[in-house]
Amino acid sequence: MRNRLCILLIEPSFLIREGIKTLLSNLGHPYRMEEIDAPVNDLEKLINKIHPSLVILNPMLTPKLITLPRDPENNFDPYYLGLIVNSTSAQVQSKFDSLLSVDAEKHELLKNMEKVLQQIGTTQNETESNTLSERELGILKLVALGNTNNEIAERLFISTHTVMTHRKNITRKLGIKTVSGLTVYAILNQHIKMEQIQGTE
Amino acid sequence: MRINKDMKMAEVIHLNHHLLPVLNRFDIHLGFGERSVETVCLDNKVNVDFFLEIVNTFHDASYFPVRHLQSFKASMLIEYLQKTHAYYLEFKIPEIGKYIHQITHDENMQSTHKKLLNDFFDNYQQELTTHINKEEQRVYPYVIKLENTLNNVNASLEELKALKKYSIHEYEEDHDDVEAKLFDLKNIIIKYLPPSQNNRLLHVILHDIFELERDLNNHGHIEDLILVPIVENMEKLLSERLNKLSYNA
Ligand SMILES: [Fe+2]
Ligand SMILES: [Fe+2]
Repeated sequence: MRNRLCILLIEPSFLIREGIKTLLSNLGHPYRMEEIDAPVNDLEKLINKIHPSLVILNPMLTPKLITLPRDPENNFDPYYLGLIVNSTSAQVQSKFDSLLSVDAEKHELLKNMEKVLQQIGTTQNETESNTLSERELGILKLVALGNTNNEIAERLFISTHTVMTHRKNITRKLGIKTVSGLTVYAILNQHIKMEQIQGTE
Repeated sequence: MRINKDMKMAEVIHLNHHLLPVLNRFDIHLGFGERSVETVCLDNKVNVDFFLEIVNTFHDASYFPVRHLQSFKASMLIEYLQKTHAYYLEFKIPEIGKYIHQITHDENMQSTHKKLLNDFFDNYQQELTTHINKEEQRVYPYVIKLENTLNNVNASLEELKALKKYSIHEYEEDHDDVEAKLFDLKNIIIKYLPPSQNNRLLHVILHDIFELERDLNNHGHIEDLILVPIVENMEKLLSERLNKLSYNA
């Protein structure tokens, strides 16, 4: 599963805030959001409390801000996305990691937002992460053949807890939850043979 | 968008055609003309408030007016749940079964794969039937009896005591998720069965599974989040009645 992205959204307009959320759900990223609709005096303190990895900010709401707070050494380095209008000064614009123009067309907004999410690293190469490891494959076979978690643990000299962790990962990677589903998967991919399971059910 | 009593019933269906099977459970038939939701419900002797809450939970999964739904009678809820069970067992499952059976007549498909698909679905059908039978034979009758007995002001101590033999907590604890195998079946078809000539039929099956899964999800929510609290509340009343009676005796 992708990591749940924590976003801090500072924008006075309800419509724009809703628009940002629509944009994010259009891209299908799970996220948690804190919304602020009033001017922020101490941005650093706020960020320290919430620990967002993305701050979407309307510069009008932080008028006194000369620089955006960053401190990478202390793990304090959110990505700043500026919500700008045509009249926003170049000097203000330059402080942000990137910009989202409120007047832009849908496809452009989507493209820019996607780029931002990629840069934060929430998107991941699904095909790579979904391949089973050697260990997981071994456990999958034993599950498919009808062994219980305890039996598998004994056989592989690992704890039941570890077996359960492996099973969770297998389910997540394959998108299959039940034992009978895993059995079908194992046979379809020729990890085990149909004859091997006859009579075990 | 929330569905309300003044909307035209025809509009409601245009808004979300997935509600059609839900209308069936209320014995509401097509041919609405210009009638409003309220009028159609009145004409069919359906409680409008209850109807609205059910269609809205179905229409928007994030709309779950737990508190509000808990004000309805348990028997009303159970009647709806039973109709839903009948829809699964008498209509939806046989329909999917029929398509899966058709697929197994395809010459291009490996016989192992046919058998896998068939057996998997048979297994699922059994699992769902067992789940539903338990509810209909054990749980629902208990709830109805509890409600009736509590409504009877003259119920005897023995009658009240007899109800104590079962508790809804037993149900709550082993009420399992009956969608897991369906979820797997989806991915088996989408990701793992080798490409086949039978695309069209597989699409129809997938559509049906998605629909059934969504329906079961809503059904399970109603059981866990609405029915169980209603019954818990009645069990509390039962204990109070029993205490009073034994105290007076
Ligand atoms: Fe049920
Ligand atoms: Fe159930």
